[in-house]
Amino acid sequence: MVAKGDLLLEMNGVQKRFGGAVALRGTDLKIRAGEIHALLGENGAGKSTMLKILSGVHINDGGTIKLGGKDFITGSPQASIDQGVAVIYQEPSLFLDLSLAENVFIGRQPKKGVAIDWKFAQSEAARLFKELGVELDPKRQARGLSIADQQVVEIAKALSMNANIILMDEPTAALSASEVERLMTVMKSLKAANKAVIFVSHRLDEVFAISDFITVMRDGATVSENPVGKTDLQKVIKEMVGRELTELFPKTENKIGAVVLEVKDLTNPAYFRNVSFNVKKGEIVALAGLVGSGRSEVARAIFGVDKYESGSVSLNGKALPAGSPVEAMNRKIALVPEDRRQQGLFMVAGVNRNISMESFDRLTDRGLINFKRERSLTNTWKEKLSIKFANQADPVDRLSGGNQQKTVLAKWLATDPDLLIVDEPTRGIDVATKAEVHRLVNQAASEGKAVLMISSELPEVLGMADRIIVMREGRQVAELSRKEATQEKIIAAATTGKRSA
Amino acid sequence: MLNMNLLKKLRPSSRESSLFIILIVAVGGTGLINPRFLTGDGTRDLLTSTSVVALLAIGIAPIVVMRHIDLSIASTVGLSAWTVADFCAKNPSFTWVQCFVIGSIIGLAVGIVNGLLVAGLRLPSLVVTLGTLYIVRGLVYVVSNSVDYNAQEMPESLLALGQKVYFGLLPFTFLMVIIAMILMALFMKYTKSGRDAYAIGSNPPAADLVGLKVFRRTFLAFVFSGVMAGIAGVFYLMRFAQVDSTAFYGQELAVVAAVVIGGVTIMGGSGTVVGAVIGALLVQTIQGGLAALGVDAFWKAAINGLLLIIAIYADRVLAVRNEKQLLAQRIRERI
Repeated sequence: MVAKGDLLLEMNGVQKRFGGAVALRGTDLKIRAGEIHALLGENGAGKSTMLKILSGVHINDGGTIKLGGKDFITGSPQASIDQGVAVIYQEPSLFLDLSLAENVFIGRQPKKGVAIDWKFAQSEAARLFKELGVELDPKRQARGLSIADQQVVEIAKALSMNANIILMDEPTAALSASEVERLMTVMKSLKAANKAVIFVSHRLDEVFAISDFITVMRDGATVSENPVGKTDLQKVIKEMVGRELTELFPKTENKIGAVVLEVKDLTNPAYFRNVSFNVKKGEIVALAGLVGSGRSEVARAIFGVDKYESGSVSLNGKALPAGSPVEAMNRKIALVPEDRRQQGLFMVAGVNRNISMESFDRLTDRGLINFKRERSLTNTWKEKLSIKFANQADPVDRLSGGNQQKTVLAKWLATDPDLLIVDEPTRGIDVATKAEVHRLVNQAASEGKAVLMISSELPEVLGMADRIIVMREGRQVAELSRKEATQEKIIAAATTGKRSA
Repeated sequence: MLNMNLLKKLRPSSRESSLFIILIVAVGGTGLINPRFLTGDGTRDLLTSTSVVALLAIGIAPIVVMRHIDLSIASTVGLSAWTVADFCAKNPSFTWVQCFVIGSIIGLAVGIVNGLLVAGLRLPSLVVTLGTLYIVRGLVYVVSNSVDYNAQEMPESLLALGQKVYFGLLPFTFLMVIIAMILMALFMKYTKSGRDAYAIGSNPPAADLVGLKVFRRTFLAFVFSGVMAGIAGVFYLMRFAQVDSTAFYGQELAVVAAVVIGGVTIMGGSGTVVGAVIGALLVQTIQGGLAALGVDAFWKAAINGLLLIIAIYADRVLAVRNEKQLLAQRIRERI
């Protein structure tokens, strides 16, 4: 039996290369029993690669990994499971067609003779759910479970495998505030049972609230490892980013004009209720709040991708019919979606085709595409946004995340919209490109476009927005001007729904 | 509230029972038009003519559950039927035993090739088995060299077995189908391999992540389907007592259709072999019913297609209703 504080896992100088790209250049990590360990770093810092080495998906090229004093065997998910390491991915990997009990015991079903002992599997799963304080029905199909409940099933699975080390990749990214609370309780009970919990998170307030140790990574290497008492928010941010935050967010003061977008009492009971706000010409309005608070759904409803039950949306004083993205585009609304790979781009199509996608009308001669004009359009935006690619016809999935994001932006800016909606415009891109995206969004505002920005990154919200609307669990809980907004006020409103002083 | 729970409890297994009810209605309806349909003879005819497709449906159901497909089965039936007849013509001492052994070996060989290409090289099964569909049929053309075989070249014991009927209505071939169905249904529900098949079809990347033996399961599923197709080739001989190089040509999609009508989702992860067999029976019954109604045989293909679309639409309606209920449940939880 392991005791609290025992060293379970030790990584030293671990390296990993993918072709020419170095993902890890020397990562150290020490994991002890009975502790919650936060792993921080910008996207691309190598956290996911490290988790994948521990879960057996990748094999490290250099460095050593010791588990309980012995060499850790990498390269097969089964081997990792056998060694007591369980990984819970950001997207839970449940089998939606199977029952919860089956999901918990998949690959290790208890047997009675030759047949699977379903009774035992079900009662055992029920016991584990109860232990975790979330009583789910083990006979129920996994389809339709919320992400939070799916995580609980994954954790139950890890416990049923007698895992000592439980790794979670951004477990709170898609949870509502109350679900985060519940997960934290579960994490604490794991800690009390002397398990080691390692989790990746970008929500620093949570990290400081729950973890015992914080390891910060940057550019594939470990920058620091500290007990939580020996570090603070500012220090951690500086270590993650590698420079002062003030270089980001080149905010310019724009002339703010007439109202462009007016949203009144917008309600879709499943996601949001009574949302009312406006965005004016030249203004950047941020929708802040936790993931799952209904912000993206509001944007989708405005753009007409989803329907809403009641309320109204009008653009430049004229009502916008619900449920028609085509009409929204005709009325000059652009939506840069949250998930560029799934929703924003045609990944295997060329950069040129992606950029010109929404501007076909201007590129055609008697219904046929004029490729010369497409080429010049692509070049124009390549220069304006300094998108880096070798060949116009290169498929966008060969571009880096930052250049992909710029390509989506180019596609929509090329339509010259009156209202630009950007949903998490800088998710998953590096710091330098982030600053560029911020510059572009600012520039769009200064050209007189109205900008509605959804962002989960508080510094981004504070640095960019003229006005901030905070949402919590589908309701609009606060509206703050640029002057009065602070990190604390936004967090307070987003997590408690109350305005703090 | 209690009612809702009861409904929910019934739903997962209700797919097969509701299909069974539709089957009974179809049989009864056909019986009303043509009373002969309900006699022992009528039932026997229905079951005999369904045996080949039903056995193939049992063979590919696990593959479809794993989000794969095997299109080479009809060609394999042709190769097996012709080769078995050829061996028998050249070896008059052969009985039904040798026939089943030879048929199985041929099916096994095709299954191994499919399995290695799909599971080993991770090539898409749709394309691989489309390839082997043509290759195997091509082999039949080459080896048969336009030679046909009739009843006089086949072992009497085999033809006698094909005529054998239990209780006046259950032909030997369909008895075999029922046995295979029961064994496979138990296998799919109660063994690790069976459950892994559902997991693999439900979420292939996750199946790799949790360390399931994806290669072995996939490979064996194709081998099983191949062997079933080989045996179905012998069933074909027993039914028609003659074979040429075009035997069972182009029938692979009829089997896929029966499986899908039987509730095995083409996207993998759900469905049962029992459903697949009922699907095969339903298609055959409706064909019989249309014939009884005097509908021209030329309509057969079109009606099959319509049936398939109705089945998939019914699934869609059920899925949407299910989703709506789950969403409503979540809204209730939030308030």
